[in-house]
Amino acid sequence: MREIVRVIRNLAESLWTNTLFFDREIACEPGQFMMVWLPRLGEKPFTLSYPNGITVKRAGRFTEALTSLGPGDTLGLRGPLGRGYPLLERPALVGGGVGIAELRLLALRSDSPTFILGGRTAEEILYFDEFQSLGPVKVATEDGSLGEKGLVTDLLPVDAGSYAVCGPERMMVACRSILPDDRTHYAIERYMKCAVGLCGQCTCSGQRVCVDGPIFPGKMLESMPDFGHRRRSKSGRWEKI
Amino acid sequence: MIALPEINPPLINASGILSYPEVFRALEASGAALGGYVTKSVGPAEGAGNENPVVVCPEDEGQPLLNSLALPTQSPEDWEADLAQTRLESSRLIVSIYGGGPDEFGEIAARMSPFADLIEVNLSCPNRVPGEVALMESIGQRPDLSGEIIGRVRDSTTKPVIAKLSPNSDYLAVAAACMDAGADGLGCGNTLGPGLAIDTVTGKAILAGTTGGISGPALKPVNLRMTYECYALFGCPIIGYGGIGSWEDAVEYTLAGACILGIGTAFLGKTTSEAARLTRRIWEGVQAYLGGAPFPEMVGRAHRDPAPEAARA
Repeated sequence: MREIVRVIRNLAESLWTNTLFFDREIACEPGQFMMVWLPRLGEKPFTLSYPNGITVKRAGRFTEALTSLGPGDTLGLRGPLGRGYPLLERPALVGGGVGIAELRLLALRSDSPTFILGGRTAEEILYFDEFQSLGPVKVATEDGSLGEKGLVTDLLPVDAGSYAVCGPERMMVACRSILPDDRTHYAIERYMKCAVGLCGQCTCSGQRVCVDGPIFPGKMLESMPDFGHRRRSKSGRWEKI
Repeated sequence: MIALPEINPPLINASGILSYPEVFRALEASGAALGGYVTKSVGPAEGAGNENPVVVCPEDEGQPLLNSLALPTQSPEDWEADLAQTRLESSRLIVSIYGGGPDEFGEIAARMSPFADLIEVNLSCPNRVPGEVALMESIGQRPDLSGEIIGRVRDSTTKPVIAKLSPNSDYLAVAAACMDAGADGLGCGNTLGPGLAIDTVTGKAILAGTTGGISGPALKPVNLRMTYECYALFGCPIIGYGGIGSWEDAVEYTLAGACILGIGTAFLGKTTSEAARLTRRIWEGVQAYLGGAPFPEMVGRAHRDPAPEAARA
C-alpha cells in the first residue's frame, strides 16, 4: 500500500535522532518496515517506532532531509512490508543505538518486557524514561555516561522467556554468542531496492531480507553464514561487515 | 544451431528477478520447481543503477508493476568470483549479459561462458538513468546492431545463445537478424514501455528514473503475441516471459510456442517458501493439463491443431 502522509510533529529525541509523527496510524506488526519516500531524494526502509511515527538518526543526505521535515510537510510511505516478530513471551528486548527505535512498538505489545540497551553515549539511549515505566531497564554505554560503562553484551545473559535483538550487525553477532538461538530473534538490515522480494538486492545467504525477514529466528541464522560477514552493496558487489 | 540444455521443469526466473546465485540456492533448497535460474544482467563495469524508488507496485491484483532498476551490476570480475563459487544442485544456470556495443557483449559472453549452461543476451532493457541515453534503445530497436551483437556473442562462446527481444520494437525484424547471426533461441520478451506513474498528491513522477518497464498481467497479451509470432516465423526454442503467475498462463505461452517459461513479477511479496510453492503449483497445473503427454508435444500446438468444430462453424 502506497500513501502520502503529512508530518504533524518533529520531536528531537537526542542530538542526532528525531521522531516524525504522521497524521495517521499505520496498521503493522512490530518489526515490519515501511519504505519512506522523499521525492528526488530517494526511498529507504524504516521501522515504525510509533503507530504513526518513525525515529530517524541523521546519517546522510536522505536522513538529514527527513529529520528536518516539519508540520505540514509530506512524505510517501510504502508498506507495511516484510515479516515482523512473532508473539514473544516475557521478552528481553536487546537494542543497540538507533536499533532501539524498532523495539518500542514491540515493547508496547509484549507481556512483561525487560530492556537491555547499549550505545556509545547516553544520547543514544532512546525512550529511557518511557521504557522504565514498562519494565526493568539495564543500560551500558561505551563512555559510561549512562548505566554501566561497557557494551550491551556485558549486560548479558539475563533471564527471560525470549529475546529480540536489534542493533548493528556486529553487536548482534556478539549477542548471538551468548543468547539461545531457539528463543531469540534478530533484525537484519540490508540495502533495499524493490523491498517486495523481486530484485534480490537485500539477500543474506539467499534469504531476501525484505520478504523472508527482516526479523529472523536465531535458529535460521545457523544456515545464514553471510550474517555478520558480508552484504551486497547497491551494485551487488560484496562488502565486508 | 546449438540445442538448449534440458531445463526440467521448464520454468525459470526472469533476469533481474531474484538475481543472485545464493538466492537461487535458497529457492532450490525450498523445493522450487525451477529447472534453471537466470542471473541479473552482467554488464561491462560496476554500476549502481537508478536511485530509489525503483518500483511502483500494483495496489490491486491485475495491475502492472513498473520498475526502473536500470541494470545495476557488479563488475565482471566480481561476477566471475561469485559464479565460480556457485553450485546449483540440479538446475541450470543461465547468465544474462549486456553491454554498450558488440565488443563489450562479446567480451562479457566470453568471460561468463565457463559458468553458464546458456547465455541470454539482453538486447532490450527499456530503462534509463535520467540524463543519459537509454542504453538499449539504440540496440534492441535496431536489427543490424542486434544481429552484429549476437554474431559477436556467437563467436565468443560455445554455449547456446538466446536473444532477448523487446516488445517495443519491430521485434520480428530484430529476431530475424539475431537468428541469421547464430542465435539458438529467442527470449519473448523484456518489459514493455517504459511507462510512467505520477503521484497525485505530490504531483511528481514516483520512479527516480521517471519511467519504468511494465511487467505483470498487463504485459502478458503483448509478449504472448510475440511468442506466437516468433514461433510461427522461426520455429526456434523460445523462452516466454511476461505475466506468468498461474498454470493457465504457462499453458498459454507453451501453446503459443514457448518451451521454457520465465516467472518474474508473480514473485512479488513472496517469501522463499511461498515463491517455491508458487512454482510447484504452476508446474503441477501444467502437468495436469498435459494429462501424461510429454511437455514438448504442447509447445506451439496453437499453430498446429485444427480449430475446434464450434469455432469453424
